[in-house]
Amino acid sequence: MMNITVTISRFNPDTDEEPRMESWTVEMEEGARVLHVLDKIHTLDPTLAYRSSCHAGQCGSCAVRVNGEPALACTKEASDGMVIEPLNLPVIKDLMVDLVPGINAIPRFHSSECGTLPTLEDVSKIKPLRDCIECLSCVSVCPAMRVTDFLGPTSMRSQMRIALDPREPGNRIREAITQGLFTCTSCNRCWRVCPKNIETPGKAIEKLREIANREGLTLPRHQEVAELVRTTGRSVESGKHTFLDLVDEVIEPYGEVKREVGFFCGCMFNARLPERAMDMLEVMRHAGIRVIIPKTQVCCGSPLIRTGQTSFIDELKDKNIRAFQERGITTVMTMCAGCGATLKNDYDTPFEVKDVSEILSETGLPPLTKVPITATYHDPCHLKNGQQITREPREILVTAVDKFVEMPAYCCGSGGGVRSGMPDEAAALGELRRAEINKTGADVVVTICPFCEYHIQEHSDRPVKNLMTVLVEALGKKPTEL
Amino acid sequence: MQNQEFIRSHVLVIGSGGAGVRAAIEASGSGTCVLLSRTIVGKGGCTIMAEGGFNAVMNEADNVSDHFADTMKGGAYLNDPELVRVLTEEAPARINDLIAWGAVFDVTDSCTLCQRPFGGQCFPRTCYAGDRTGHEMMITLMERLSQTSVKVYHEISVFDLILSQGRVIGAFGLDRKGKLYVFIADATVIATGGGTRVYDISTNSTSGTGDGYAMAWRAGAELIDMEQVQFHPTGAVYPWDARGRLVTEAVRGEGGVLKNSLGERFMEKYDPDRMELSTRDVVARACATEIQEGRGTPHGGVWLDVSHLPAKQIEERLPVMLEQFLKYGVDIRTEPMEVAPTAHHIMGGLRIDPFCQTTLPGLYACGEAAGGVHGANRLGGNALAETQVFGKRAGSMAGTEPEHEINSNQEQVDSAKMMLEGYLTGDVSPDMVKFDLQRIMWHGAGIFRTKKMLEETRIALDALSRKKLKAVDPSGFISCCTTRNMIDTARLIVTGALLREESRGAHVRTDVIQDWDNQSSPFGHTILTRTGATIERRKA
Repeated sequence: MMNITVTISRFNPDTDEEPRMESWTVEMEEGARVLHVLDKIHTLDPTLAYRSSCHAGQCGSCAVRVNGEPALACTKEASDGMVIEPLNLPVIKDLMVDLVPGINAIPRFHSSECGTLPTLEDVSKIKPLRDCIECLSCVSVCPAMRVTDFLGPTSMRSQMRIALDPREPGNRIREAITQGLFTCTSCNRCWRVCPKNIETPGKAIEKLREIANREGLTLPRHQEVAELVRTTGRSVESGKHTFLDLVDEVIEPYGEVKREVGFFCGCMFNARLPERAMDMLEVMRHAGIRVIIPKTQVCCGSPLIRTGQTSFIDELKDKNIRAFQERGITTVMTMCAGCGATLKNDYDTPFEVKDVSEILSETGLPPLTKVPITATYHDPCHLKNGQQITREPREILVTAVDKFVEMPAYCCGSGGGVRSGMPDEAAALGELRRAEINKTGADVVVTICPFCEYHIQEHSDRPVKNLMTVLVEALGKKPTEL
Repeated sequence: MQNQEFIRSHVLVIGSGGAGVRAAIEASGSGTCVLLSRTIVGKGGCTIMAEGGFNAVMNEADNVSDHFADTMKGGAYLNDPELVRVLTEEAPARINDLIAWGAVFDVTDSCTLCQRPFGGQCFPRTCYAGDRTGHEMMITLMERLSQTSVKVYHEISVFDLILSQGRVIGAFGLDRKGKLYVFIADATVIATGGGTRVYDISTNSTSGTGDGYAMAWRAGAELIDMEQVQFHPTGAVYPWDARGRLVTEAVRGEGGVLKNSLGERFMEKYDPDRMELSTRDVVARACATEIQEGRGTPHGGVWLDVSHLPAKQIEERLPVMLEQFLKYGVDIRTEPMEVAPTAHHIMGGLRIDPFCQTTLPGLYACGEAAGGVHGANRLGGNALAETQVFGKRAGSMAGTEPEHEINSNQEQVDSAKMMLEGYLTGDVSPDMVKFDLQRIMWHGAGIFRTKKMLEETRIALDALSRKKLKAVDPSGFISCCTTRNMIDTARLIVTGALLREESRGAHVRTDVIQDWDNQSSPFGHTILTRTGATIERRKA
């Protein structure tokens, strides 16, 4: 037996102005789940409202937030000190939220009355999209749904399942587009909170966008980007300088060589923010890391994959893999979160891929002097959700600045082709970032991703800096200016 | 007491598991249909958590008469043969309905349905979608339901049927806040599922509290064979709070073996021919005996092992099991599971004819709420088939009821209100009564039974039924009503168990020495009504 103290959000809209937090300490058996704790508290206070049915993770009734993260109460292990809140959906009472409108919104398969079986191939494609238990955890965290009429991640999952099924009588891609297919920022938060681990952005939304592409329905702005990549190998037009033109192919550290990495720079750092990549090289010189920069590398293809324009993606992949493999590179370092997530999740690489923050954590930071600022950190979605990296950048930042303050992680709106294709949505999400940044009271917002940096700078009253720039300052150097 | 709401429909379906939703889909073709559920519709009941599969003759090498014979034999010949005939003949058509509606069952590379062996079958006839077959069925049914005109009421708990001149004319329900709903219909379908939540260790969802049995019995319907409670041989034993959670028979169907703490494959002693794929009554007793005799695992179970199977087979065919055990720290690809018997299914229930008509005019029943299909022991894979075969029949027959001029019975409305208001002055927490009830039933009416134990259990249940249940506010009415239904269901089980002085299928009376086998038993159904209880005697 063990004592567990929990804090539960209580709210009765009939009588309460706003939710209040209530603490309980109960005695539980080893291995108890969150639901068992709620059941125990219910015996002491029968007015506690929450849902449960199957107790086996199959009905999707009991999703709540445990320490801020959505989880099924029946499968999540209880822990001392946990905070239990309702999902971020309209609250009916206490932990019970209104699930019915969200469930009713999910597009449904149209019965064909034709009893032919799908083939084994069809079934194996559909199955991964069929596990959804409609708990709406994904809907409760989707940033696009906060600011647009997007029907939501699980609705797109359902549309893809329908698209894959030969028994569905009609083509519903136009329906999916009107339901917001192009509003998804590919932040992948839905995938990370899904109790069934359904990779909705990669396995449904991007695949639906591919279907839209084949039908000529890709957004014009996205088509322009694809054309640019097809003709130049790059998704961003070159400015005054490009990083690859400015640097040598091998950058030696100042002292002993502790490690060697290849650097995949990505289009944004190459053409729009080369200074940040130069800052990174300075950090690497101090950290004892030799950086090799193959000049034959091209766009990773992320802007194409996210928008469903995959017709020549294999050529890009081949070029990039060859660029590093030919030089015998075994570790490729990325600095752009989007490139990193793409190389890790969409490529099958013969080398390991690591984010710059992982490399620095493993190899160790050079001696730093704390910069006298208060900084907050914006988690790039393609780093947090795409690569599940949150610890390393914080640890690095904490050693480089006087004071670090947290800010809730939320998509800034720049990903998934939304900044170019859905500028109003991207701006609305950017404004939500502005509000959160202001709440922190920080002097500076630090991030790693060039897309986030570029976008948030337009929606922030504080300067936005790359983590590498902050490190250059903490090394007592001046950040690169071009 | 807040004002009540009246809802009139042609057909009222109570329960949103596989049988209820199938009945509503069918009934919607013949007039207005209301489907109500104590949960969000589609999330309740046990179908959604059913894992293993759906028995249907889908292969030319198999035949319906074999499915019939397996079901009768597995049911210890207590089944109603006419219901078994319907089940086995119509199961293939019902699985084809699901396929036309978009169900994604596992298929072979030659484009036929995959089928796996389950216990008590002479042919592998269990169709499946991995080990989430019931979930696949429910999402398919919900997709189909959304294309009908059925009016859905979420989170309404029904607590009593309404009668008028001996005819069922609807039911009383409560919403979450304790507001009374009066549903009036020409035909009412009970699809409320089972009731093994009356046991301490159970596989059932929160809604497995026997409400349909209790309401119908109070309304005067006949129930049969309520003593026939299936204990599934393999329920989880750890963690303690999740004990009883189902470990699907598909684990054994795929080749899983049972071993005791000495490493012996003990089914050799109990059924050397069928081994782990013997019928559930036999396997459950074998597991219970091994544990009782001191050959159990550290957490008081036996070992169920699939680690000799290829990891890929486990990942593809048993993904839910793999995921669930991983959450509890056990990788079933490399380690054995610890399992023990758990209360799973009530074979008994409302007496129905092949058209799902109960003995009360206006009242139909289907799914686990009905009795007679499975006799004294249900074969794995027959329950999902039952939900569809009899769900369709119940919905279709209920739809054919002529319209009745119904005057809602104000006297009954007033007495329902009075009963509910009485809970506000009660003094015992329904949660506590449930807790006691579940332990009393587990110890006194479990796998092995004696007259003495059952009589003591009956006395203990009588004492519980006299307690004055307490609702701190109207939102507590549902809990009080459910507890009342659980007590009534438990008493029905015990009454049946006392009447049946023989061991038959899942019901074992260790105090009775008998010189007959299942086929020559002098006994037929136990029959329970509000006015009396009896056991049928067969002619020699």
